[in-house]
Amino acid sequence: MACAENLRVQEYFDGEVDAVAAADIERHLSSCEECRVLLQDLQQVRTLIREGVPRTGMPAPLRERIMEALDQESRTVVRLSDRQPAAPRRSRPFWIGVFSGVGGSAVAAAVTLLVLVPVLNRSLTTEIVADHTRSLMSSHLIDVVSTDQHTVKPWFAGRTDVSPEVADFASQGYRLLGGRVDDVAHHKAAVTVYQHGRHFINVFSWAIDSAAVPQDTTRNGYHLAFWKVGNLAYCAVSDTGWPELQGLVRLLQEQSARDLPQ
Amino acid sequence: MLPYLDAAYRYARWLARSANDADDVVQEATLRAYRSFDDLRGADGKAWLLTIVRNCHLTARKQQQRRNQVPLPQDDEDQGGEMVAEMPDPESIAIRQDQQRMLRRLMSALPDEQREVLVLREIEDMDYREIAAVTSLPIGTVMSRLARARAALRMRWLQEAQGEPHGVR
Repeated sequence: MACAENLRVQEYFDGEVDAVAAADIERHLSSCEECRVLLQDLQQVRTLIREGVPRTGMPAPLRERIMEALDQESRTVVRLSDRQPAAPRRSRPFWIGVFSGVGGSAVAAAVTLLVLVPVLNRSLTTEIVADHTRSLMSSHLIDVVSTDQHTVKPWFAGRTDVSPEVADFASQGYRLLGGRVDDVAHHKAAVTVYQHGRHFINVFSWAIDSAAVPQDTTRNGYHLAFWKVGNLAYCAVSDTGWPELQGLVRLLQEQSARDLPQ
Repeated sequence: MLPYLDAAYRYARWLARSANDADDVVQEATLRAYRSFDDLRGADGKAWLLTIVRNCHLTARKQQQRRNQVPLPQDDEDQGGEMVAEMPDPESIAIRQDQQRMLRRLMSALPDEQREVLVLREIEDMDYREIAAVTSLPIGTVMSRLARARAALRMRWLQEAQGEPHGVR
């Protein structure tokens, strides 16, 4: 009774066939009245559902409840990992020591920097915050989805000119979600994306020529933590609190310190 | 995972018998997903989260049945009204809401196995491979269930529309 091609027509309708098969089915449709009617029926049902069923989002109270639960969860993870024997911690970022011995001859340059840098920094922080918020609003948060550093790190090769520190810190409450490429200060920046409780943390990294990275700052409510390893500038940005953001920064810096030549 | 919360919620609402059940299922699923995030490993995040939602729903329903507390079907009607009310629409709200309510009722009346593939295809816009992943069904079964679901929904809708003088078409 039913035409044997019914399921193939449905596949065609759902966009599941390649061009060759599509041409084949279109030929069949031109000669089969039953399948032509079926195609119309399928479209009718689709229109009915897509117009008739509102694409409801999650109600705010439930979202809030779930976010609270996620935060609770990530706090638990952090507390557990704190009890384990901790890796040696650097209380201060190590590059601060680099600048402590700067001679007087550098003062003039420093003054120039102090004048120039704030202007540059404002546009840099604006840019990073814009990248960060855009990444959360669009589907362009992650281009390579992986919790595996050995997937994310090679992915950057060929897409940026930098090879940043990438590691999953899930046991410390910072999950590596993946990476993407974004533009920062006219460079292709490698961006690694972490989740901490309900919050996303974007870690930008790009090559810079200048000696200094901007100071940590808060812009539009987002915290930005800057640091530098070699000629690689890093900026971690998020709407988490400072302690949570610094937690990830510390983990990444410790990771870099372990990777440095002895 | 967080970008797919809306999809997870919608799916749970279609699976569960009441709004409260759906809320619990989504929350449980989200937490479970968060804990087992390492299993994702490059797989599609949406399909993965919806799979967990489905598993949580099945577990919850099994527990409910064991306690012999299957809610009355009238829950579905309440659910329909609520979902519609959340979506304001300035033009001809009354007629639209009538239609939406009817469609919701018709879809709720479909067998579970047909409804879930239809929801994943037409509302969550997933392809056969993704639907097969979420429901752990072979693709062939996805296709045949989808065909049955569409035919059944269309037939019921035609019957309703004929029975109602104000129905469209």
